[in-house]
Amino acid sequence: MKLSVSNPPHIKQGVTVKTIMWSKIAILVAVGLMAVFVFGLSALAMILVSTISAVLTEAGIQKMTKQELTIKDGDAVSIGILIALLLPSTVPLWIPAIGAFFGVALVKHAFGGLGSTLFNPAIAAWVFMNMSWGALTKVSSVSHIGSASYNILFLGKYSDIIFESGAGMLAEVSSFILVIGGLYLIYKKYIDWRIPSSFVVTTVVMALLLGEDLSYVITGMLFLGVFILATETATSPITKNGRFIYGLLCGVLTIMYGFISSNYVVAVLYAVFFANAVAPFIEKNTSPKPVDEVAL
Amino acid sequence: MTKEEMQNNSKTPKEAEEYRQQVVIPLLQHRGPICEPLVDVEDNLLIGQKIGECDSDYAAQVHSSISGHIIAIEERPHPSCVKKPSIIIESNGTNGSINFKTCTNPSKEYIFDTLQDSGIVELDGYPVFNTLTSKKIIDTVLVNLTYPSDANSNCTSDNIPKIIEGMKLLMKASDAEGVFIVNKTDGQLSSSIRSSLNGDNIKIINTKRNYIPLMNNLLAHDMTGIRISNRDTPADAGVMISSAYGALAVSKAVLEGIPPIEVNVTVSGAVKNPMINTVSIGTSFKDAIQSSGGYLGEPGKIIMNGILSGTAQATDEVPVIKSTTEITVQSIDEVVRDKPGPCIHCGRCVDVCPVNILPGRIASFSDIGRYDECSKLHVHSCVDCGLCDYVCPSSRHILQLIRFARTALIRLFNIPEEKESPNLKLGCESCETPCDIGTTSVTQGGTK
Repeated sequence: MKLSVSNPPHIKQGVTVKTIMWSKIAILVAVGLMAVFVFGLSALAMILVSTISAVLTEAGIQKMTKQELTIKDGDAVSIGILIALLLPSTVPLWIPAIGAFFGVALVKHAFGGLGSTLFNPAIAAWVFMNMSWGALTKVSSVSHIGSASYNILFLGKYSDIIFESGAGMLAEVSSFILVIGGLYLIYKKYIDWRIPSSFVVTTVVMALLLGEDLSYVITGMLFLGVFILATETATSPITKNGRFIYGLLCGVLTIMYGFISSNYVVAVLYAVFFANAVAPFIEKNTSPKPVDEVAL
Repeated sequence: MTKEEMQNNSKTPKEAEEYRQQVVIPLLQHRGPICEPLVDVEDNLLIGQKIGECDSDYAAQVHSSISGHIIAIEERPHPSCVKKPSIIIESNGTNGSINFKTCTNPSKEYIFDTLQDSGIVELDGYPVFNTLTSKKIIDTVLVNLTYPSDANSNCTSDNIPKIIEGMKLLMKASDAEGVFIVNKTDGQLSSSIRSSLNGDNIKIINTKRNYIPLMNNLLAHDMTGIRISNRDTPADAGVMISSAYGALAVSKAVLEGIPPIEVNVTVSGAVKNPMINTVSIGTSFKDAIQSSGGYLGEPGKIIMNGILSGTAQATDEVPVIKSTTEITVQSIDEVVRDKPGPCIHCGRCVDVCPVNILPGRIASFSDIGRYDECSKLHVHSCVDCGLCDYVCPSSRHILQLIRFARTALIRLFNIPEEKESPNLKLGCESCETPCDIGTTSVTQGGTK
């Protein structure tokens, strides 16, 4: 009889990185399908090109550096889809391809791969694409479906929450899917609840205080930022209080950028991007006090 | 005692006799120095006879659990620390015992005297007598019923009145109030305790969390609000923490005069007939499992005291000791063999940590040998509950790395004469107490 000896615990909860990643991808795919419905096959082509580029880049880097292939964990796939979702449907296909390459190669793997990234690869790639080809990535597309025919449940201007008719970027088509998906992720504890709640509350409260029209502030991009981008694990603080502060900072930066530029879509992306930059400092200054630490 | 056995175990005494033919009683079953044997090879022993003693602040006597003669005094496998000197007794098939002194209404002095002689050890390894006589003022006796292994084995409906009796004795000895700690979800246990209390001045507090014996300081903190340093004990907050097992043993020792010679053990997992057994101390795990019908399929892992924080055993020859409450058998397919991936900084370990430290961060520093950083991140506060490891989506061996760092830190400061790197002498950390077996490689979830 051969017995195994190892440290406790002798059982695992069963939630793995794969589970978390692929659940997120499922939500992104749902949003992607909605985008295909609204923008047509050009959106599908973008998502495919971006995903394939991201996966090939990751495979190539891991082959070259003789690491184990980790395509199956889904990180490259989610980066690929996200990059496509952050672009308008009118961009030429080589832009998402290069963007995905940039995100995976320079933002993810150059900094140490999964879990070690400083910035969210998708947002960093979007910033790169926006800086490099500003004219091409400019949001000018208008949905080919008239808004009047989709005034769902007679919600008036708030019907955009369920089905955004004037979406610019692919991700903006449906806040509804993102909210349902995000709440599911929180319910399953795949993402943390602190960042989304403090992000949303800060944004809404500040928008109300500044007298902004909420239908401008609450966009599909806000919910993508709240549930998917800001909660990206490697770029957010791990301490409990740190996560509250991080969400608060995301909200404040969103309102700051949006109030000045009156573009609340881009505001979310830049807010999360800059919050990523200070996340390590937040984490450092919010180290929890252990229960047994006796005050001297 | 046979009567007791009949209640918990549907076996006839004859059958029970067969599987306890030989017992191995380790001379170390508590935190503290190893006991000196009071007997010699070939001596004849009776049930309840004292066979080991030590004179230290942390002392717990050892008693014979069967009647028979000693065949050897030698080092044998121990369930929580590799090999320790043990007394091996072979049964002579009789039930001869020393005269157990019963007492119905003991005085305070009588309680102290019997507890000193009986060598009762709490599940965290501290002798009960020692806690009672430490010079700290104890104003509350907490009986922790939230440790699943202990509560399952000992909180049967027959035992609850005895647990309450034992608790009252501890309250009498320390002039303290009594409180039961029961998990919120365990409504059945609270109600059965409440019905047995009959108006005694004992409170029941419901908690959200399960407290394992190593979390006693945390339990005392949660109940009193007093912060206790990891070098101190709950007694520093005026609290004495007992378990269902401890209270049961106290009532048996004081009222019936029987020292701890038997324990209730839940045998669960891949065995044919999972059940609660009453087994003599010193019975090998093999025999205890055999009395539950034997293995179901080929065993892959045998775990003492709970699947979440228990110790995996290298062999099934190890004896049941005073603090054994559960034996879990995992089949070969159930053994976790995940390969650790990179930390994704999801913070799930931080969310579940009961003592507010950053387990994942400490593990990462420990992995690269930065034990100084681990120390700064309060690695010594860890209570070894294993929850961080349990929830980790990357299957990182967080608890092992934390233990590794802690032992490394202890050895860094404690071995001035040896000129080699302390890293070389670190073991696998699977056991509760660090050992010198000389395992140099870290087994990460693999076979031995």
